[in-house]
Amino acid sequence: MTVRFQDLFRSAAAAEPSPLCGGGRPADAGRERGSATPIQGAPLGMVATSPEAASPLPAPSGGHPPPQRAEGWARVAVLSVLLPLLVSPALAESASDRLPKQPLVVDSTAQGRQIGKPGGDIVTLVSKARDIRYISTYSYTRLVGYDETLALKADILEKFENDGDRIYTFTLREGHRWSDGQPFTAEDIRYWWEDVALNKELSPSGPPEFMMVDGQPPRFEVIDPLHVRFTWDKPNPRFLPELASPRDPFIYRPAHYLKRFHARYTPKAEIEPLVKQAKVKGWAALHNRLDAMFEQTNPDLPTLQPWRVTNTAPAARFVFVRNPYYHRVDSNGQQLPYIDKVNMDVSAGGLLAAKANAGEADLLFRGLNMEDIPILREGERAKGYRTHLWPTARGSELALYPNLTVTDPVWRNLNRDLRYRRALSLAIDRRTLNNALLFGLGTEGNDTVVEKSPLYKPEYRTLYAGYDPAQASRLLDEIGLTQRNGAGIRLLPDGRELEIVVETDGESSMLTDGLTLISEFWREVGVKLFVKPQDRTVLRNRAYSGASVMVAAQGLDLAMPTAEMSPDELAPVHQDTYAWPKWGQYVETRGKEGEPCDIPEAKALIDLNARWMATADNAEQAAIWGEMLKNRAENQWVIGTVSGALQPVVAKTRLRNVPDTQTYSWKPTALIGIYRMDQFFWGPNPKEASR
Amino acid sequence: MIRYLARRFITMAVTLLIISAVVFVIIKLPPGDFLTNQIAELRSQGEAASVAKAQFLMQQYGLDRPVWEQYLRWVGLWPNPEGAFNGLIQGNWGWSFEYDRPVREVVGDALWLTLVVNLAVVIFVHLVSIPIAIYSATRQYSIGDYVATFIGYIGLATPSFLLALVMLFYANRWFEVSIGGLYDSAYSGLPWTWEKVRSLLAHLVVPTLVIGLGGTAAMIRRMRANLLDELGKQYVVTARAKGLPPTRALLKYPFRMSLNPFIADIGNLLPHLVSGSVLVSLVLSLPTVGPILLAALKSQDQFLAGFILMFVAMLTVIGMLISDLLLAWLDPRIRLGGDGR
Repeated sequence: MTVRFQDLFRSAAAAEPSPLCGGGRPADAGRERGSATPIQGAPLGMVATSPEAASPLPAPSGGHPPPQRAEGWARVAVLSVLLPLLVSPALAESASDRLPKQPLVVDSTAQGRQIGKPGGDIVTLVSKARDIRYISTYSYTRLVGYDETLALKADILEKFENDGDRIYTFTLREGHRWSDGQPFTAEDIRYWWEDVALNKELSPSGPPEFMMVDGQPPRFEVIDPLHVRFTWDKPNPRFLPELASPRDPFIYRPAHYLKRFHARYTPKAEIEPLVKQAKVKGWAALHNRLDAMFEQTNPDLPTLQPWRVTNTAPAARFVFVRNPYYHRVDSNGQQLPYIDKVNMDVSAGGLLAAKANAGEADLLFRGLNMEDIPILREGERAKGYRTHLWPTARGSELALYPNLTVTDPVWRNLNRDLRYRRALSLAIDRRTLNNALLFGLGTEGNDTVVEKSPLYKPEYRTLYAGYDPAQASRLLDEIGLTQRNGAGIRLLPDGRELEIVVETDGESSMLTDGLTLISEFWREVGVKLFVKPQDRTVLRNRAYSGASVMVAAQGLDLAMPTAEMSPDELAPVHQDTYAWPKWGQYVETRGKEGEPCDIPEAKALIDLNARWMATADNAEQAAIWGEMLKNRAENQWVIGTVSGALQPVVAKTRLRNVPDTQTYSWKPTALIGIYRMDQFFWGPNPKEASR
Repeated sequence: MIRYLARRFITMAVTLLIISAVVFVIIKLPPGDFLTNQIAELRSQGEAASVAKAQFLMQQYGLDRPVWEQYLRWVGLWPNPEGAFNGLIQGNWGWSFEYDRPVREVVGDALWLTLVVNLAVVIFVHLVSIPIAIYSATRQYSIGDYVATFIGYIGLATPSFLLALVMLFYANRWFEVSIGGLYDSAYSGLPWTWEKVRSLLAHLVVPTLVIGLGGTAAMIRRMRANLLDELGKQYVVTARAKGLPPTRALLKYPFRMSLNPFIADIGNLLPHLVSGSVLVSLVLSLPTVGPILLAALKSQDQFLAGFILMFVAMLTVIGMLISDLLLAWLDPRIRLGGDGR
């Protein structure tokens, strides 16, 4: 007998996964900037656990408790209601010793919240281990952050002064400490600016873009250990909103910890063995890896957030314990957060709703969708949770992006024809879409800001967004697309069929369902639509290179702006807007790649964006926003359809202070961030044991 | 025998080499690779530090080199930038970009859990189907035979992923088994205690049933057919005529003979231990190799995907060898080599 080759190949083929098993579910991850950046997610057990790398200065508290058994924690959780001091050895110091001299006092009752009781754990779910990074979005602790009314308030800072958007003076809280007990001072901000952002090896392309005005960095001064100042020659209105953004740029770093890995402060001979151990190329790579403020992959890295991570990947559960030196207190003087421990369990995206239904999550929102609502409602009573339905602030749930920088000349001409874009918009029956996709609960119209935004005007949403197929047909005829083939489809000037291939990332059934409906509407005016779902990275590359004619995706991320938030998403300055990838590249690479914007109306947007950046006057900024939104509606750069999907927010009934209805968005609300998760607490109910 | 083995090993090596080339080329077929995609994205977000790291990795792993050179480096037939041969042959499984860790660490955890799940399935399938097959073969066309056949076909026809979801739901409702995973997440990262093992066993029930059900039906049918072939043969009649007890007359000769095809099947069984449950693993969120492989293929994490596929191929090749040797040992009528000895 000999080896049977056909068998061999059969089993090799069997090892390939079936295309049926679609992996992830439509998480909002895709639209969030930087969500797909696993490269930075550098789990680093090796270095972190080596004796040399262990916290350089022993915490006065004697360190944090090792992870205990689950039942153990449940017991601790019960005890801690009575004896909060038992939770962590660090808490053996009295609370007032651990707080800054001037803690941030949260007036819960004024916000319509209750004063809570500390203690207990909560379990939430993530679909990928990498997603634990969003804890800093959920817990939303910033130097400067938005409150619930979207006003910018000092948070970690005691106060800040803003002189004409040019000179920013920050005052730190006296006695504020990192989670390892070391003082948080101006040195930590200086370290970030001078030794991280300006260091050529750590940041090869210079400081982050929001720090630069016309390519010029600010002057930075440390006035005293509690005061720092950034000074630009021209206004930089983006600075504070960026600090308050859902993805914290972390313009402060724990200098006392990171200096050990910085070549400027530590001799090479001391770093070298650590570099070897971590198998990285040099000190810079090692530093970048340990400096995982956002990624949460280094448990030794001190933090100012309410909870700090305690374990690294690989793990099915990531445990975040409270930061004993957190700077917020409630009006009774109890230190926040109320919750001692946040457990993030990793589970397949497809099972999130099922797990919530089984009561396995105390708090869950990211990864849930409108289509999960029935199954979520079904388990409410039995498992003691509630499904809050929060309206999403997003420009449009399904938006079509005609690629104005597509390489095919015929399509390029067509996509750039205003009449064509208006015709496509007028040919969409948004009422039917609304009924089919959002149970009729959505808002029909353009991809623009939502009603809750102070900048909203009805015309932004309704202009050229009615349903008028006759007018659409007339416009298409006017362009000269009068020839039709036997099937009634119009022909392009070069004789091809007017078949628009709409590319989408295929991860959300809402997009593909919506497109199927739109293809019916468009057929009535003689336009054929072909849906092409594909992997998101492939989609991006095709769009960026000008290969795709039209892309379908979600609309504006920042749909609930105030005038002081940057309107850059409306202008062709970023390549990740599918309507103008190449114009965006041109601006982003300062003319090295892409092509310059050559449509006057779009150029106007760039100018407006630049004017917004150059002014410190809120009224003028609001006027600029208005002009840009008007321009967007008139020109139909992006064809919006329906907005206002509901976001299910699952929370245990006993978990208090979870708002009933609030607006959900990535930007500016940082998912649930601005609703202050550190004030959530377990209400009394002896019948249901804490998990 | 030694000559035969030597020849087999050479063919195996050549086969694996061909498979590795095919695997690598297919993985590389889609445009771009993990790091170029990443770099494009990072650049658009102005995350300079990460771009630098991605570029460093690109050089380190030669992603900027032509495909054939990448392939040879991966296999270990071409020196890396430091001038050392360091590939599969030398025991280096490569680097996973997605997880930012060596492939060995990524796969290591998942591999043995995969084996546990699939071993449970294999045992379940054999334990259930062999007695049923014997029963329905000895009582052909009886009511019991029809019932067993009917149930078996239902098992074969039910889509396993659907069944998995349904059973997951009711296992949670009725038996309080937490959804998904191989043990309750409360135990993750803790040492193996009795409670954790119990949690693992409770979570094994659904996957074993779901994955096993399809296999059981097929197994019953094959076993039944094999046994029926044997039962009508003269030596069985003779054994019975000479007064051998019925059980002995059944188990001693015809049953043994009907096992031959299963021994020959070991070659397929071994890779099945790793790749047999991809779909169900995905649905049930099991921490096994299947979902890792799928994710790796989707994100073009080439070394991770390549390694898993190569591992399965190697198990196939080894399984084939084992089954051939076992067959020759079990049934003297089968000769090795076929060179007319």
